[in-house]
Amino acid sequence: MRPSFFHHLHPPTIPAAQARWRYTLGAGGTAIFLMIILGVTGILEMFYYAPNPQDAALSVQTITYHVPLGWLVRNLHYWSAQLLLIVSAIHLLRVIFTAAYHRPRRFNYLLGLALFVLSILLDFTGYILRWDMDICWPLTTGTNLLKTIPWIGNFLFRVAIGGGEACSTALLRFYTWHIFGLTILVVILGFWHAFRVRRDGGIAVPPARLRADNTRISRNELVRREVLAVLIVGILLLLLSSFFPAPIAPAMTGKPSAVENARAPWFFLWVQQMLTWGDPFIFGVLIPLGVLALLTLIPYIFPKPNEAEIGSWFPKSNRLAQIVVSVIVILVIFLTLLSYAN
Amino acid sequence: MQTNRPLTFDFRLLLGSGLLFVVLSLAWFLDARQPDAVELIPTLTGKPEYCLTCHADLPEISASHPVETFGCVSCHGGERLALDADLAHSTMRGGANPSDLSVAEASCGGSSCHSGSEADDRHHIQRVMTSIQSTYAGAIAGIRYTFGAQTDLNAHLGIRAVTDEETKTGITSLSSFDPASEENPFVQKFGENCLTCHINAAPREGEAYARGTGCAACHSTGEHTLSTAIPYTQCNACHNRGNYDLRTMTFIERSDHPTQRIDDYYQPIGLFTRCEYTLDCVDCHTRSEVMGDGDIHKDQASIEYVQCRTCHGTLEELPLTRTLTDPNDIAFKLDFLNPVMDLKLGDTILVTEKGEPLWNIRVLPDGTYEMIGKATRQYFTFRPVMGTACEQKPDEQESHYCHECHAVEK
Repeated sequence: MRPSFFHHLHPPTIPAAQARWRYTLGAGGTAIFLMIILGVTGILEMFYYAPNPQDAALSVQTITYHVPLGWLVRNLHYWSAQLLLIVSAIHLLRVIFTAAYHRPRRFNYLLGLALFVLSILLDFTGYILRWDMDICWPLTTGTNLLKTIPWIGNFLFRVAIGGGEACSTALLRFYTWHIFGLTILVVILGFWHAFRVRRDGGIAVPPARLRADNTRISRNELVRREVLAVLIVGILLLLLSSFFPAPIAPAMTGKPSAVENARAPWFFLWVQQMLTWGDPFIFGVLIPLGVLALLTLIPYIFPKPNEAEIGSWFPKSNRLAQIVVSVIVILVIFLTLLSYAN
Repeated sequence: MQTNRPLTFDFRLLLGSGLLFVVLSLAWFLDARQPDAVELIPTLTGKPEYCLTCHADLPEISASHPVETFGCVSCHGGERLALDADLAHSTMRGGANPSDLSVAEASCGGSSCHSGSEADDRHHIQRVMTSIQSTYAGAIAGIRYTFGAQTDLNAHLGIRAVTDEETKTGITSLSSFDPASEENPFVQKFGENCLTCHINAAPREGEAYARGTGCAACHSTGEHTLSTAIPYTQCNACHNRGNYDLRTMTFIERSDHPTQRIDDYYQPIGLFTRCEYTLDCVDCHTRSEVMGDGDIHKDQASIEYVQCRTCHGTLEELPLTRTLTDPNDIAFKLDFLNPVMDLKLGDTILVTEKGEPLWNIRVLPDGTYEMIGKATRQYFTFRPVMGTACEQKPDEQESHYCHECHAVEK
């Protein structure tokens, strides 16, 4: 049987070790699937979404309550976006905890990290597009954080917001960044990332001579596994979307203003928690950027693990990186939980 | 080693596809279960709203506020597009009562509605805000004076701060009464226990006290109903509930359950003539007495002015009348809002000494008067005092003198 186009996207065969669930967790592939869902549902939402302050929240309500199956489309978009962050984080941790980030994959590690940051920004901008009462605090706090950056803060604020304060121009900018600027970057970097996976010799495994198991699987089997993953994630998405609607709040009247019990979106709660401690530039900008810088430098500051250990979980030669990243993860989770508790 | 397994039957994929189909069907089922949205585009706003999806069975609130014109959101607020009850109701003004005075301006106000100019007689909200029903100024001043918290009986404080720069009473403003900042324990207790009978306050618990706040305190005479035909029972929710015991500063609920209207008044020592327990309060008392006239008054007595003689005249004078020659006369508007009289140009009606129309009382050709109850639509006729055998002295014409002869023995 002649392979289809979709089969042709895959190598004819790959080492079986590269495609084991318990090794890859299917995270990278799942992230691609979630991005496709996000693209499709996002385009559907664009048919109704109105990016102006008067109508934005109302158009979200229209999608949610009046467009046929609009609630499902919006919930799928929302849950795909949340799962994407979780799956991307898992993907990143898998790469770090299996020491897969060294040459020749170092550049692709950086591409992946950039994709992760872009996904967070896409999630945040999408969150702001709701333009309802719940987004006031994150919008004003998030954009004011930019202002705290010395020298270029005001410039960055103007770039992000467009005006003197977070108002109508901000919505249009967030909209454009969300559906165009960030999305196109994700598409370009995403294709580049996938291309580099193949160029770099597929998912990191020890060289054939050091491999215990040299079995290979065909692309038929690979696609089969991918379809199975898609089915599982699809079912999970549909269940989440059916029973846990995406958050929605009353339309904003007037300009964004602070509200009581304001809460950042969940993926920024750890930053929000730190903001209660003091200087917003240090806790809201420097530390998060420091974490990002540390993650960026991981392939450069930690020694290259033994070739034989590449592609196995928690290689001994990579302990320090595992400990550093684990501490970061635990701290972020702890701060997030602390924020929920408050 | 390469394994080129041909495409074969895969149970996992079949199971996954089956489950996906089930979950898709579930989503479809959830979608089908949603109620069909009922759209209403009120002519006043031109914006669709979907409140009737759930609230189709509510009665029309009043003939003056048809739902096709006003919709629901103009008055109630709320999220007009939401079909989720929590979200839809989350921004409603005043909860279920948009006429609460904290939100009345947004709900009922506007120059074309109830906060327009005095010249257009559309300053209802301004009148209510400064009225005794809202400020409770007389009671506050009386209690504070009695317990030495102020040296005169003038009104200085109200339930909330109000100002009236164009005052005709000399009172330009009232500050907010704050019981916590009072030093006298009786005044404090008064603040704690005795502030439930102004229209800012939620009523006491119990069916007998059931009323809304703000405009609804008087005008909401039933479920989702606004009316100017206000029966005495509506007034009773506040004015017929019991008494305050000034020694303990507590409210003593009345314990009797009267079956006759004459017994249905809360002042056991009060004297009442027949018309006072036959008619409704609004048949005699005017709009400005009840809702205020736009000025801040010191107490109830200074705004209440209708006397027996307002309708019946005295031995020497007939009651004041006005022949309706202007189609824009306010009497026509009031008759339109509560059409009991079918007034016509050329009709002669009674008016008060301040010129307020008693628009449900018309002079008959034989010099007697006909009256139709605003709430009951009962038909009455009555005569003026002039020409009767009344022996009242000309300088003793206040109602309490009339009561001495005409009060009904209880």
